[in-house]
Amino acid sequence: MLDNLLSLMIFLPIVLGAGILLLPVGREAARALGLAASVLVVLFGLKIFLTFNGSSGLEFVERSPLIESLGISYHLGVDGISLLVLMAAALLFPMVYLLFRTREKGYYGNLLIVQGAMIGAVCAADLVLFYMFWEVMLLPVFFMIGLYGGPNRLKATVKITIYTIAGSLLMLAAIIYLGMAHHQATGQWSFAMDALSGLSLAGPAATLAFVGFMVAFAIKIPLFPFHTWLPDAYTEAPTATTFVLSAIMAKIGVYGVIRFVVPVFDESFARYALILACSGVVGMMYCGIAALVQKDFKRMLAFSSASHMGIIALGIFCMNVQALTGTLYQIVAHATSTGVIFLLLGLIEERSATRTIDDFGGLASRAPILAVFFAVAMLASVGLPGTSGFIGEFLIILGAIKFNAVIGILAATTLVIGVCYMLWLFQRVFFEKPAEKTATFHDLTAIEVLTILPVIVLIIVMGIYPQPFLDKINPAADRQIAALAQVVAVADSGDGAELNNQGKN
Amino acid sequence: MFDVMVILPLAATGAGAILIMLVAAFETFRREGISILGMGLFAFAFFIQLTVDNSGDIYPFAEVFNGMLVANTFTKVAGLIILACGFFSALAAQTYFTQNKGFVLEFYCMLLFAAFGMLLLTMVAELITLFIALEIMSLAVYTLVGYDRHSVVRAEAVLKYLMLGAFAGAFYVMGAVLVYAGTGSTSFAAIGAVVADSGYLSNPALVGGSFLILFAFLFKAAAFPFHAWVIDVYDGAPLPVTAFMATAVKTSIFAVLANFLLINPEVHQGWVTFLFYLSILTMFAGNLIAIGQQNLKRMLAASGIVHTGYLLIALVALGSERFSGGAILFYLAAYGVATLGLFVALSYLSGQDERRVSFDDFRGLAKVRPYSAACIAIFLLSMAGIPPTAGFMGKFYIIAGAFQAGHAVLAVLGIVSSILSLWYYLRLIIVMYFREPEQRFEVAELTLAPLGTIVLAVCVFAISFYPVVL
Repeated sequence: MLDNLLSLMIFLPIVLGAGILLLPVGREAARALGLAASVLVVLFGLKIFLTFNGSSGLEFVERSPLIESLGISYHLGVDGISLLVLMAAALLFPMVYLLFRTREKGYYGNLLIVQGAMIGAVCAADLVLFYMFWEVMLLPVFFMIGLYGGPNRLKATVKITIYTIAGSLLMLAAIIYLGMAHHQATGQWSFAMDALSGLSLAGPAATLAFVGFMVAFAIKIPLFPFHTWLPDAYTEAPTATTFVLSAIMAKIGVYGVIRFVVPVFDESFARYALILACSGVVGMMYCGIAALVQKDFKRMLAFSSASHMGIIALGIFCMNVQALTGTLYQIVAHATSTGVIFLLLGLIEERSATRTIDDFGGLASRAPILAVFFAVAMLASVGLPGTSGFIGEFLIILGAIKFNAVIGILAATTLVIGVCYMLWLFQRVFFEKPAEKTATFHDLTAIEVLTILPVIVLIIVMGIYPQPFLDKINPAADRQIAALAQVVAVADSGDGAELNNQGKN
Repeated sequence: MFDVMVILPLAATGAGAILIMLVAAFETFRREGISILGMGLFAFAFFIQLTVDNSGDIYPFAEVFNGMLVANTFTKVAGLIILACGFFSALAAQTYFTQNKGFVLEFYCMLLFAAFGMLLLTMVAELITLFIALEIMSLAVYTLVGYDRHSVVRAEAVLKYLMLGAFAGAFYVMGAVLVYAGTGSTSFAAIGAVVADSGYLSNPALVGGSFLILFAFLFKAAAFPFHAWVIDVYDGAPLPVTAFMATAVKTSIFAVLANFLLINPEVHQGWVTFLFYLSILTMFAGNLIAIGQQNLKRMLAASGIVHTGYLLIALVALGSERFSGGAILFYLAAYGVATLGLFVALSYLSGQDERRVSFDDFRGLAKVRPYSAACIAIFLLSMAGIPPTAGFMGKFYIIAGAFQAGHAVLAVLGIVSSILSLWYYLRLIIVMYFREPEQRFEVAELTLAPLGTIVLAVCVFAISFYPVVL
């Protein structure tokens, strides 16, 4: 049975989630089942992480044909690029079931489905399969925001759904175009990644297909200027959904760019990398500045999360090993820190029934443990040395300066804005005079402490001793950049030269 | 012997219709009995169609009765879709008439006669047979729409349909005459031979005639600019009849069009540009109409126009690749399952005298009847083309076919159109799930439709990975 570890990680949650939604299950039972499934997924994930050797390409491969006439196959696998994203999607979920124990069964059922679909999207090595999981992972989010969200949930849910489906349908057209291009080149339909990355695409159609992919991923990440759904969705969504969106789903957008766009559209990518990098930096600055002035706790963190996604995306567009490694590392670092921050925020919201920053004050004296946890996660998210966030952001900035000094300096400066709003927030919420509204606020319970503690420890371990994680990533990052470098070299000598040179001046 | 074997399902359907007509004369047979008999006859014909071995590749055409009919995998699958549509429409009718007035025992007889005409239509290979089949189908469907003559809406619907349908029939006959004048034959294959010999555009009678024929079919398939009747007629007809019209009629029309164009690639070449623009206009006209609707039946009618547009894309791409004929059938099946599912669900949710048919009437359905709401959501997602439903694979094949034939513009516009269509599909889901319930959605007595809805919801997933080989 353990031969199909990836399938198990995908379909155990999905089947269980569908079962919970369809059958008359009580909410307690639903939560227990969800917890059990997510713990199993964690165990499977750890097994994959420990047995992954990182030297070759895809490992844990499963492949069987799905629709032979079109060359669509059920093709799964993990490599150094997907490994850490897979870990982020596998490891963090038990926290939700442990921390939020009184939700309706649909809450837990949808959560299970979204986890399975996200793991599927990360492991898929066939574009059509990837697309299916990619779409399926949106549906639970749609229902969770619409059913369990805040007062303005309808607007938020319509916005995120239309936005993302519109993006992904354009990607569907691009995917089918790729299959057709493969058919024209070889006489056979195929949507397998290894087959498609060998195509040499050129011409306006290829550029359009590249745009189709980029728009879909840019919406999911979200990359400026496709970020406008984010504040509404993050703010109105229930805690678990915000957690899913910010900690994992956004990362799958980044992962999609690395996994599918870079190898297949290497030429277009190299050509437009500078523009995309600019968009990443502008997004960072824009969302960072927006975060400074927010009055709503959650909305501020939503902008902060979007701002950090900007730098993660920037790491891909710099096209060098440091930045790419940094991005892959930061995917996990940001998932853990943002995930914990949003979960803690959910707990704070439950206890005080408010999200306005001005209503808080002096929480540190009433809830010291919560304050410490929040501080660690927050410092990790702003990249303090000694936390996981530092390694990733440092590598990305390093790569960005190598790529283009201006962009690197701008990105580094923007990180300071992040420190500003985060520390200011921390001061207003946890220090200063205790506010009346938080008079009855109590600290984390034992279960809550034990739930969050492992992730806090992980944040610190990843900050102090990153080598084991980097060892898993590096070979894949090297391979990818090496493949890309050839294309860039060719483009430099050819007609793409002026575009790349502009970046260097 | 082969000839007779091939028309066995046809014979079974026709004989079934006559049987019901005879049985209906007896006082002892009441509504329940006759509806079970009707469903049983559809199921019976379905199994005959399934077992009859009329295999033969799509090329060359296996000619039956000296080239009057053709029989191949394409016609077989089209027939299966039609009979399945008939079965589920009969099932919807069984439930519908427990809460609605206006039942006559001959209802199922007409349903079977219409199916008979459609089956014949999928197999025709000759212009006169085609006309006969078309008229058998149309007359039966006119009757079905308007048999309740006390109802003003029904009368209005049938008048519109009949008048315009008669025009379309006249167009067809005129076109057939011109084609005969131009080519000297009524057989598809002979027409194809003449066209291949002398070219399409050099023969004005043929061009004019074939376009008149095309108009007649576009009318029946509700394509732009012949789509205006659909909204009122679908709205005015009883729910089960609307379901039948939306699915089975469309299937038979596209089957015969595809057959005709596969045999006549030159005619196809002549029509391509025209169909190209028509498919775009059909998709967007349908979307614009659907976005404004408040009534579910009208919304579904308009969305049917949009799906006609997608099918026209497949027709444009026809012949360029082997699976393009299969793409049409797969799309029809996927569309048929989702549409029938919605109508079957409506047949028991709409209540007495169809009083719940607007979007707002379905507020909070998920809280009162969660399974029905889940099924409806599945059907809507399939129509919107969200994986892993059948609707997604249907769109996938059609778009792949369009790319393959070099019509990237059509593929992209098809995608844009599906983005637009999200508006009205999601709207119903939002209303069902995110609003508070106002109605109780009681179901009168023991009925089959809820079961049928669940079966169809399972089908949405079950057929999605069915390999298309034609």
